[in-house]
Amino acid sequence: MSEWWSYGLADFLLFSPRVYFRLFETMNTTWGLAVISALIAGVIAAGLAMRHGHRGNRVILVVLSLIWAWVSYGFMWQYYQPINWVVPYVLPGFVAEIVLLAVFASRPLPLRFGWRGDFSSMVGAAFIGIALVVYPFVGLFEGRDLMQAELFGSAADPTAFGTLGFVLMARGTWRWLLVPVPLIWCLIASATLWVMDQEIAVVPLIAVWLTVFCCWLDLKNGVTTRRMTQAELVEPTD
Amino acid sequence: MSEIDRRTFLKSASAFSALGAATALGGAGPLWAQTIAGQKRPDVIRKAIASTGEEIPAVGLGSWITFNVGNDMELRDQCADVMSAFFSAGGRMIDSSPMYGSSQDVIGYGLDKLGARDQVFSTDKVWTSGDGMEQLAQTQERWNIKSFDLLQVHNLVGINENLPLLFKLKDEGLLRYVGVTTSHGRRTEDVMAVMKNERLDFVQVTYNPIDRDVEEYLLPMAYDRGIAVIVNRPFRGGSLVEKLEGEPLPEFAAELGAESWAQLILKYLIAHPAVTCPIPATTKPAHAAENMRAATGLLPDDKMREQIAAVIGVLI
Repeated sequence: MSEWWSYGLADFLLFSPRVYFRLFETMNTTWGLAVISALIAGVIAAGLAMRHGHRGNRVILVVLSLIWAWVSYGFMWQYYQPINWVVPYVLPGFVAEIVLLAVFASRPLPLRFGWRGDFSSMVGAAFIGIALVVYPFVGLFEGRDLMQAELFGSAADPTAFGTLGFVLMARGTWRWLLVPVPLIWCLIASATLWVMDQEIAVVPLIAVWLTVFCCWLDLKNGVTTRRMTQAELVEPTD
Repeated sequence: MSEIDRRTFLKSASAFSALGAATALGGAGPLWAQTIAGQKRPDVIRKAIASTGEEIPAVGLGSWITFNVGNDMELRDQCADVMSAFFSAGGRMIDSSPMYGSSQDVIGYGLDKLGARDQVFSTDKVWTSGDGMEQLAQTQERWNIKSFDLLQVHNLVGINENLPLLFKLKDEGLLRYVGVTTSHGRRTEDVMAVMKNERLDFVQVTYNPIDRDVEEYLLPMAYDRGIAVIVNRPFRGGSLVEKLEGEPLPEFAAELGAESWAQLILKYLIAHPAVTCPIPATTKPAHAAENMRAATGLLPDDKMREQIAAVIGVLI
């Protein structure tokens, strides 16, 4: 395999920005209802995650799991895979994320979403807000049509970026398991956009750095080390 | 090499022979496939493949990035339009690779749509450290073609396994020419070692008026050893022509009949005695036709070639 060292990052970008951004246009026009539904589900999950308290914990995990399943099959497999041979190699990671979210939703594991008021919560809330509201319109500043908007819940980049926000809003020892896949995807997304000369490449890269920093901060503050109490684990019924 | 893949390769070759015979017996193909067939095409400059003397048009068509459009039917049709303009302007060689995403499928789609299988000089690559035969069978299926004119070891990946495989296919009459490729000036010494030790028909390298390293040793060696040269990245992935856009052409361009920087660069390349065929890639049918017109009219002599390189060097 000694030959592979001779490749540079740009050698692996085998599609043009025109083709890449048309993927979103085709997906948005073909699967409009599903795309909008996924976005609305994301907004609902965001509303639940940002509340003070832990209500709707299970709903958030189910929604995120379904969204990752839709992104994996819809965008990644149906649209992105034909132009990027890297996709089949990262899809197992996406599947792992789906399974983890589903397992967390089905078991009373120590993972709870909710506003804590600390720095990580603020960063998490900002990530979710940007992924849901800002990201779709970024293309307009780069001269792209609104139909090519990358929407949370259907496009991989804002979904990974937003998921990191959800994870930072959560507390519990199992939280770190949900970090690697969206984190790695953000790195891949940043590299892809950077090679395509897209200024938005900096956004997923900043997300990676901030997530790593917040994870360290939360580890230090006990957010991800202290086991949840029985009272915290019980889903409120009112 | 797995026997199953080998069988698949051979089976599809036979199937296409049968299909060809059926088409010949039944007359023309389907209506939509008659776009190119029977069309009178202009005479263009042709250059000889040294190992056989066969002549091919001196400009080809690359597919890196430009033809990787996935399942987008609108863009696939645009690629077919590019191929149509290319063939209509006298072109033949189309080059691709398993590394280029959906490009092979898109070429297969274009050949189907245009009914141009008998006109294309099909050029592809093997790019794997694994089962080369399996990859070649997949490549053949994607092009939907009987057999390839030229297969190359892409960037020397798996050279020790893949080059003997290609020679074997050639010896068995399933392949006409064998080559190796490199790009961006990488591993030039390794490529030259292969050129020295193997009976290659083709070598593919990066060459343009800015990237001229190959002029010193590789091109003379190819010429001396009778190895045809395909030139990739003649426009540096398009950036060379973009940077020159808006700059006035030098006066001597008119003497050569060059109407654009793209044509001037291609004429610079074609004029080199060792160069057989540059393969510019494009998404625009007009550019495909414009590129082919570089293979008409006069070519620059050595002095003029130096002037072209000097002018472009100053402007970039």
